[in-house]
Amino acid sequence: SRRGGPPQEEPPPPLQAVLVADSFNRRFFPISKDRPRALLPMANVAMIDYTLEFLTATGVEETFVFCCWKSAEIKEHLQKSKWCRHSSPNTVRFVTSDLYRSLGDVLRDVDAKSLVRSDFILVTGDVVSNFNISKALEEHKLRRKMEKNVSVMTMIFKESSPGHHARCKEDDIVIAMDSATNRVLHYQRTQGLKRFRFPMSLFQSSIENVEVRHDLLDCHISICSPQVAELFTDNFDYQTRDDFVRGLLVNEEVLGNQIHMHVTTEEYGAHICNLLMYEAVCSDIIRRWVYPLTPEMNFSDDKNQSYTHSKHNIYRGLDVSLGHGSVLEENVLIGQGTVIGSNCSITNSVIGQNCRIGDKVTLDGAVLWDRVHIADNVEIHHSVICDEAEVKEKVKLKPRCVLSSQVVVGPGITLSEGTVISLHPPDEEEEDDDQFSDDSGVNKESKVKLKGYNKKDIGSEGRGYLWKADDKSEEDEEEQRQSLWGPAMHSEEESESDSDLSMGSEEPDSRAASPQLDDIKVFQNEVLGTLQRGEEENISCDNLVLEINSLKYAYNIGLKEMMQVLSKVILEFPLQQLDANLDSQNYFSALLPLLKNWTPLFKNYIKRASDHLNALCAIEEFFLEHDSLCTSIAKVLMTFYQLEILEEDVILNWFSLRDTSDKGKQLRKNQRLQKFIQWLEEAEEESSDGD
Amino acid sequence: NPRPSPVLGELMDLIRTEGQRMTAAQPSETTVGNMVRRVLKVIREEYGRLHGRSEESDQQESLHKLLTSGGLSEDFRTPYPSLRANVIEAINEMLTELEGTTDNIAMQALEHIHSNEVIMTIGYSRTVEAFLKEAARKRKFQVIVAECAPFCQGHEMAVRLSKENIETTVMSDAAIFAVMSRVNKVIIGTKTILANGALIAVSGTHTLALAAKHHSTPLIVCAPMFKLSPQFPNEEDSFHKFVSPQEVLPFTEGEILAKINVHCPVFDYVPPELITLFISNIGGNAPSYIYRLMSELYHPDDYEL
Repeated sequence: SRRGGPPQEEPPPPLQAVLVADSFNRRFFPISKDRPRALLPMANVAMIDYTLEFLTATGVEETFVFCCWKSAEIKEHLQKSKWCRHSSPNTVRFVTSDLYRSLGDVLRDVDAKSLVRSDFILVTGDVVSNFNISKALEEHKLRRKMEKNVSVMTMIFKESSPGHHARCKEDDIVIAMDSATNRVLHYQRTQGLKRFRFPMSLFQSSIENVEVRHDLLDCHISICSPQVAELFTDNFDYQTRDDFVRGLLVNEEVLGNQIHMHVTTEEYGAHICNLLMYEAVCSDIIRRWVYPLTPEMNFSDDKNQSYTHSKHNIYRGLDVSLGHGSVLEENVLIGQGTVIGSNCSITNSVIGQNCRIGDKVTLDGAVLWDRVHIADNVEIHHSVICDEAEVKEKVKLKPRCVLSSQVVVGPGITLSEGTVISLHPPDEEEEDDDQFSDDSGVNKESKVKLKGYNKKDIGSEGRGYLWKADDKSEEDEEEQRQSLWGPAMHSEEESESDSDLSMGSEEPDSRAASPQLDDIKVFQNEVLGTLQRGEEENISCDNLVLEINSLKYAYNIGLKEMMQVLSKVILEFPLQQLDANLDSQNYFSALLPLLKNWTPLFKNYIKRASDHLNALCAIEEFFLEHDSLCTSIAKVLMTFYQLEILEEDVILNWFSLRDTSDKGKQLRKNQRLQKFIQWLEEAEEESSDGD
Repeated sequence: NPRPSPVLGELMDLIRTEGQRMTAAQPSETTVGNMVRRVLKVIREEYGRLHGRSEESDQQESLHKLLTSGGLSEDFRTPYPSLRANVIEAINEMLTELEGTTDNIAMQALEHIHSNEVIMTIGYSRTVEAFLKEAARKRKFQVIVAECAPFCQGHEMAVRLSKENIETTVMSDAAIFAVMSRVNKVIIGTKTILANGALIAVSGTHTLALAAKHHSTPLIVCAPMFKLSPQFPNEEDSFHKFVSPQEVLPFTEGEILAKINVHCPVFDYVPPELITLFISNIGGNAPSYIYRLMSELYHPDDYEL
């Protein structure tokens, strides 16, 4: 029997991870037609290797890799890698299915098969990070312990200013959080907008320190509790993590689940969703931001990947030969066995294994995969060239070109910006089922009708089809977003976004933002309806007031707007009945009885001086819109005065307002109006004399 | 039932292969390679002793020996039953020696530090900390610690020293030259000692050494012998370690990072001319003597693993 000692706690269960090795979209077509996205090389190492290394380094002991598209290749690659060795601290288990169509499906499967026992890490196969998750995991576990299972997920973000090149524009988010507890209150994708709306409930709740942040980069790493999988099963319409987050935040009162976040400033984490991000992260890896996942560390333990690191971030593999006069300027990675000719100039590039580069070649920001052949006198700027492609002499590739596997280009042509060339014809028949079956390649041959190569696009010896050339008429935002590269970062937009930043981060107790314009429109129609009914059925003013009040609360309209709308509606009322003969006289005679009937309405709402002013402004607006009725403005104002709805000082005040628009000034020059004002002034003097 | 004696050549090949793998994994950790070479040397010695040759003649690669011996040196094929036990015992001795290095160095502190001296150091070195603490037991002196940006390990050093009631001052690296005129001695630790007597030490040590040389202040390096590496500095410079630039210019700086290159080296090279004395567990030595010490520790055939 044991006495005295504290009860033994169970050892914590091994940390598990769910790695979704499929992106469920076709952003990287046509490159990912030949290779699944998880196996695309970043600095000559497959992306999934980075993700697994990050997981293993942070202490994960069991990883479930979910594959769908080209799963056989992914499985083969991983089985040959160090993670499937006997000595690996991280056990990798594969779950393959053709039926997955989204992240939601994967998590539903996780729940169905009860794969996870406790908190797990959810990542996609294209995450590159050196983050150490233990602190965030501790916080997450503590939160769940303190408030039983309320916090469902912790998202990891990296602090990074808006202009940074690793900030993916399409992945950009704006978050409102409670800075005391790191709870996520509001989550929104920016999608290139410059103004954002936040629900007022955010700032009016009992939370004291609400922070709105735009300086966060979404790493797509989340610490999830097993409840997450259950929630996905319960809600069939959750397809992506975004759906989940938004759904959870919206249903917070109902279900009581919360999402928290963890922000890291010093460690690196990024998710590759388009080619711009691919380039940015490749560049970051070479410039050692992701230390210790740097090329010369050879963390994937592949004999072909041993590099030596020299000055200016030049990494050279084994058996690289550099011709006479060739210069490797800075940030260059050269794979094993590559031969580079003489007088080349290479900078900011990644070159794969066993490439052959000719003489006088300029590579600037180029990413070359394995076994690429580049002939002499070629210039390549900021482009991606995939396995075994060939570029013949005197070819020039402008920025953002993509040559996919085994394509041949040239000689002597210039490819304009954004050209994508692939051996797969762009209109190749694709049936959805074939997409996800492994042996689709066999069937495809027979289906494709062999088109000839367009010599004009790709040169006389070229082989490949043009998928898309960037036309100068850009700015079709939707299309741009769907393209390989994604929306480009424009620095001139930054100044505007800076001002947005200051606008967004207001004090929590700021005044109510004006409600949506559509709401006012609807409200106006409702008021009109109410008044119409009021007139037809002769409803008393008190009831009308009640109705209008209830509408006001229903649409959350402020007093000022309400006043304006009311005045407008009443003034416009006769217009409907008159339509054809829109004449001041008729108008006024139609309006007069209405005003008399609805005086109590006005009196109910016009109480303070500001209300008077609002009403007058509304009247002014109305008459500015309807010029033809201008002549009757004096009579209308007279009526208002006589019915004691508006007082003379206010009218005089309004008339002498200095900062009116030109049209307003014009209005005030109206003779009758001026006469009325004069009369009013005299009347005032009389009455004050009389007192 | 006697077990078969190990065939020594195979053992040495095994050790060499594993040593190559380990040093390739992280070239800046030279201690790993040093220990592998020490073990190989121990094995050779034990074999030589059993093989009957005296120790001295074994080590001299004299011209006479080269001419008369003809073929290569022994191939380690003769099995000796007691070889295994001898080698294990020798390795255990080496382990004991390793454990006692810091104390050995600290014991020499009183000879070098005198009362009312101002000592300067940089960054955090456990050897130097032990050295100074030992001296502080009997002498009263002051220490100035350069903080050693960007990792600022000097802060930790200063905290630890002050706990022992040593009067400590922390200052930034930029003030090293300014303060140097008031300093009596500079005592530093190091990561590696190269074969020519040069140092691979934390970034900032070269500045300190140059300032000390300018003021003719003695620079004393406290380092145990296992840090002595038989490599010479060369073009490859594989000792250098560049970590994430986060420490120098953080990621949050934003857009500018795409337009510039930021480097964060961890180590500095200090040439042997700037060093006055090495204090190690076998005593004090001048830098010019380092090459001799190497021959005691490592066999020439093992310099390249």
